[in-house]
Amino acid sequence: MSGQMPDGPAPTRAAVRDRLDRVTDPELDRSIVELDYVDRIEIDGGRVGVDLTLPTAWCSPAFAWMMAVDARDEVESLPAVENAHITLREHMHEAEINRGVNERLSFAEAFPDADGDVDAVRAELDDKARVARQYDAVETLLNAGLDAEAIVELRRRDLETDDSESDDEPAETIAVYVRDRSFAVSVPAAPIERYLEKAREIDLVSNPDDTLFRTPEGEPIDVESFDLVHQRGRLAQVNMSSQGGICDGLREVREGRLEEAADD
Amino acid sequence: MYQHNGEEIFVIDGHVHLWDATEENIKHEGGEEFIQCFYDYHTTFTPEDRQWDMDEYREYGADRMVEDLFGNAAADMAVFQPTYLTDFYEDGFNTAEQNAELAEKHPERFVLNGTFDPRDGEEGLEYLEELHERYDIPGVKLYTAEWRGDSKGWRLDDEDAFEFLEKCSELGIENIHAHKGPTIRPLNRDAFDVADVDDAASSFPDLNFVVEHVGLPRLDDFCWIAAQENNVYGGLAVAAPFAQNRPGKFSEIMSELLWWLGEDRVIFGSDYALWNPDWLVEEVIEAELTQEHRMEYGVEWDLETKKKVMGENIAELYDIDIEAKRRAFRDDEISQQFDLEDHYAGEEPAPADD
Repeated sequence: MSGQMPDGPAPTRAAVRDRLDRVTDPELDRSIVELDYVDRIEIDGGRVGVDLTLPTAWCSPAFAWMMAVDARDEVESLPAVENAHITLREHMHEAEINRGVNERLSFAEAFPDADGDVDAVRAELDDKARVARQYDAVETLLNAGLDAEAIVELRRRDLETDDSESDDEPAETIAVYVRDRSFAVSVPAAPIERYLEKAREIDLVSNPDDTLFRTPEGEPIDVESFDLVHQRGRLAQVNMSSQGGICDGLREVREGRLEEAADD
Repeated sequence: MYQHNGEEIFVIDGHVHLWDATEENIKHEGGEEFIQCFYDYHTTFTPEDRQWDMDEYREYGADRMVEDLFGNAAADMAVFQPTYLTDFYEDGFNTAEQNAELAEKHPERFVLNGTFDPRDGEEGLEYLEELHERYDIPGVKLYTAEWRGDSKGWRLDDEDAFEFLEKCSELGIENIHAHKGPTIRPLNRDAFDVADVDDAASSFPDLNFVVEHVGLPRLDDFCWIAAQENNVYGGLAVAAPFAQNRPGKFSEIMSELLWWLGEDRVIFGSDYALWNPDWLVEEVIEAELTQEHRMEYGVEWDLETKKKVMGENIAELYDIDIEAKRRAFRDDEISQQFDLEDHYAGEEPAPADD
């Protein structure tokens, strides 16, 4: 992992927040910091406490579990952190999740009733996130003037970031070599990097020769089905943001109810 | 009928319930969680001045239902979609038998569907036959995430379910409504996966599969399946109220549905009493797609499409003759009760008198 903080007596709040920012709601593919799920960060020497509240009390236990485990692991990846303690609040399964995550049990140990582990669910959601991110990356290339033939041919090695940029600041543009590397176009790096991050995470695009963009099933794209695959990426985004709309609505209701209770 | 820019739109609410979630009827804490969860959905998407109290939400009764649906002609007809949940509720949450009391009182206005649960085996097949004989049900509502003992759900593509679908096919019960939608506490999320509809739909091409709630939060899986299986339809319940509080999102979802399924396979439903058609129908019909989405998807939410989605598409599935209904509603009991005779009278263009 990049961006490690120097050793010190205690981690900074900013460093903890930065780590939590890398944790996503797996269904929405958005950061839990951005989504405002993080209620409290408490730092006591090398011990960090993080409180989380999700939009609804019945947010899938598997999703809640993934976020809590990811938050723990991200925060503990800071060298200055000895231990991260995660407290999920106002969830129907908070007792099982808090115990399981902080005692480092597996999901199956924490939820003996559940069918199997969360890996399959996580893989499915990662795949959807990858498809949705691909849409933005491909849009970026289309906007830069590349056509379907060129885009479906792209491999990992055809992307080059500008080396002159310093390590601390991510490159703003990325060079995309096309037509057997006969020429390159420069495009905004962010959507491409975001896609690559997910594609690497699921080991879909790791080697220089790997085809860059895939169908939702993970296959290379026929040029004839390019438009359809691209439309499926758009659909994956709409699905995520629709679910986000439901979550936002439920959270507003919940906050209203909590405020009312506080006023009584 | 909804009057929209001088045109009449015949509205068939494809998804209604008459439920009993009174404390006396609850036998398992799941029953209480279930109604509380419904109520959160209700308050999330209902305009503040139209929200119900929890007490009236638990049990609203037949008279109120008739008024909410038909009192101001928000809907012209409605399809009962029973939800049994007999592990949670003593007498069930809303069973075909319970719905039948009201449906049989107003047979012109209501369509009564039944249900099956493949975990009931031989007894379940007999029950399905009984529903067919007793009520001549044209469809079933299925709850694949329904708890039964230790089981937390079932799949439409397993062998047992196929036996039931075969029976439906044999009896002419053509419309299979599967709840595939948001997680409902305390039911399992994964039992709402839409993937099982795929095999069922291709194995039973003579049946129509209506995926309720358009599969949300799996709109992507649903649309991809529906794009390949032309006997798969999308029920708008839960997606519809986005029109009220997230119009941009409604525009986007509707654009996707029209792009992937076309205007003949999207079906309106309020999910009453989750949401009332008396405000929801207006919100949906008056909704507009954004200019950006219309350009991007090349689809329109125009009068013709609205007529199909709000009534004509489901009329096709249930062999409902809309013109005959309009004539019948000029003086049926409900029109008399709510003084709607004039409302239904203006069907033929009035002779010009000027």
